[in-house]
Amino acid sequence: MIDTPAQPTAQAGAATDPGRTSRRRRRRPTKITEQVPRHLRAHLTAYLMITPMVVLLGIFVIWPLVYAFYLSFFEMSFYKDAEFVGFDFYKYVLTDPEFYESLLVGLKLALMVVPTILVLALLLASFLATLSKRMAAFMKTTVYVPAVVSSVVAAIIFVFIYQDEGFANWFIGLFGQGPLAWLNTASTALPAVAVPAIWLGFGVSTLIMLAGILDIPESYFESARLDGANFWQRTRYITIPSLRNVILFLLVSGLTLTIQEFQLPLVMTNGGPVNATNTPNLYIFNSFRDATPYATSYSLTAALLLFLVIGTISLVIFRVVSSEKSSDA
Amino acid sequence: MNRSWYAPRRLLSYLLVAGIAVTALFPLAWMAISGFKGQDEVLRSPFQFFPDVWRIDNYRLILADPAFVRAMVITFVGAVIFTVASLVVNSMAAYAFARLDFAGKRLWWLVCITPMFVPAMAILLTSFVVVSKLGMLDTLAVLIIPGVAASAQMFFLRQFYLNMPAAVEEAALIDGATRWQIFLQIFVPQSLGPFVVVGIASFLGYWNSYVWPVLVVSNPDLTQIMQYLATFRSARGNEWGMLMAGSTLAALPTILLVLIFQRYIVNGVRLAGLK
Repeated sequence: MIDTPAQPTAQAGAATDPGRTSRRRRRRPTKITEQVPRHLRAHLTAYLMITPMVVLLGIFVIWPLVYAFYLSFFEMSFYKDAEFVGFDFYKYVLTDPEFYESLLVGLKLALMVVPTILVLALLLASFLATLSKRMAAFMKTTVYVPAVVSSVVAAIIFVFIYQDEGFANWFIGLFGQGPLAWLNTASTALPAVAVPAIWLGFGVSTLIMLAGILDIPESYFESARLDGANFWQRTRYITIPSLRNVILFLLVSGLTLTIQEFQLPLVMTNGGPVNATNTPNLYIFNSFRDATPYATSYSLTAALLLFLVIGTISLVIFRVVSSEKSSDA
Repeated sequence: MNRSWYAPRRLLSYLLVAGIAVTALFPLAWMAISGFKGQDEVLRSPFQFFPDVWRIDNYRLILADPAFVRAMVITFVGAVIFTVASLVVNSMAAYAFARLDFAGKRLWWLVCITPMFVPAMAILLTSFVVVSKLGMLDTLAVLIIPGVAASAQMFFLRQFYLNMPAAVEEAALIDGATRWQIFLQIFVPQSLGPFVVVGIASFLGYWNSYVWPVLVVSNPDLTQIMQYLATFRSARGNEWGMLMAGSTLAALPTILLVLIFQRYIVNGVRLAGLK
């Protein structure tokens, strides 16, 4: 009975800090009188339960990561043994204009995609919150459907839409514009890649935003309405401030995810025209495939540098989000 | 909010609902419709939305391609095995981290949660080296096994298990149940909701994956569906009707999955604690 977990409240509170729970539990007096020490059995069970997870992650994530760091200090060659070169490759990457150029492309893409998704999701979620239950259920499913479509299928659909005689040119033709060679013009290619990224991403953000709006006490809106506040005023003074953390989470996670986007440009443009859609990960991925040993070490190092930045950012978001959850509990 | 609604306002909201739904689903509808068009009308000036005659030739042709059918079947089989394996591995670890106390728990927790912050690209090349050293290239196993353990899913399930009341578990322990029995007979049956959420995520992750299969599989018998589509696009890129029909069929299982489990998915956003 004693090795049962602590009270649910303590558990929820410790959601982000497993060590805390365990220490607290261990301090309790043990009253077990059975012959086989139960805590030993629990240890064994616990190890059996986490073994598959630990082994798989060890082989397929941790080891490749360690190995990648190790390799980044060597220059590999087909003809001689790998040679230790220290931080040389880090220097190459950090002084390579093409790497910065690709970072800029990733940043531009993120700046097109993420704010658009946020505004769209806020408007849609505000609207969905006003609908009847059945209508809202229908709409929630509708906005979620694009999110499950694969990047490859989305890329193919949009390449089709951007064809000379495709939907996009017909559409701008209605306003007397075009036709444009969307994916073959340096200035339109990146926005053209941003559109499917927005289409794939807005659904989940809308649902998260909606969950946040539904958590705002209805009385806030009621009194605002009684005071004659219109939709924009309610959004500006109630919805946005109440959703501050949700918006921050969506903003930062959206930026880190979008900077890493590469499947859409890979299928749609393969980085062209003149590198206009060459996002950092696409640049790295294409260097991987360029099978020279130098390119391999180089791109490996670039991927690690990107990981250090993005991993740190996601760790910070994760910490912020988790700590809020535990303070709510 | 909808208490004092009168007709015009209601009509406006219905129009808005219809408009949003049409816009959001347009690319998918456009893909499916284009699949019904003949080769000479699929991209034609002047532009037209619907085919002159709805023909199923493209769908029939792509389904007559054994490589397409094989890709659909093998990807589906792989996705099902992948999903089940993920649920087993991740839920066991989630239970242990949520409900059991053991030596070195903090260290093992770090080992299991750190991968959440490692982007696939950082380890893509070395993962490839690892699986080729293990002799796994060109097997179904290399498509399935490396992704089975997923930190984010384990974390999600653990959050759920942390919030389960302790009373039933305590009673079962007094009755002499083992931890395995408690996990299998009390926790798993109550996990339907979260299992559906992470199960769908696993299925989608496998079904939609493209880059990993391209790297590790060259045997045509193991070609995954997204690989097939991307290859079709680069090899026969101007056969848009057939490509659209194939893409429609390839997107169908994922969309059906959402429709079947819509209730769970929408609640899943709340379950995730992302409020």
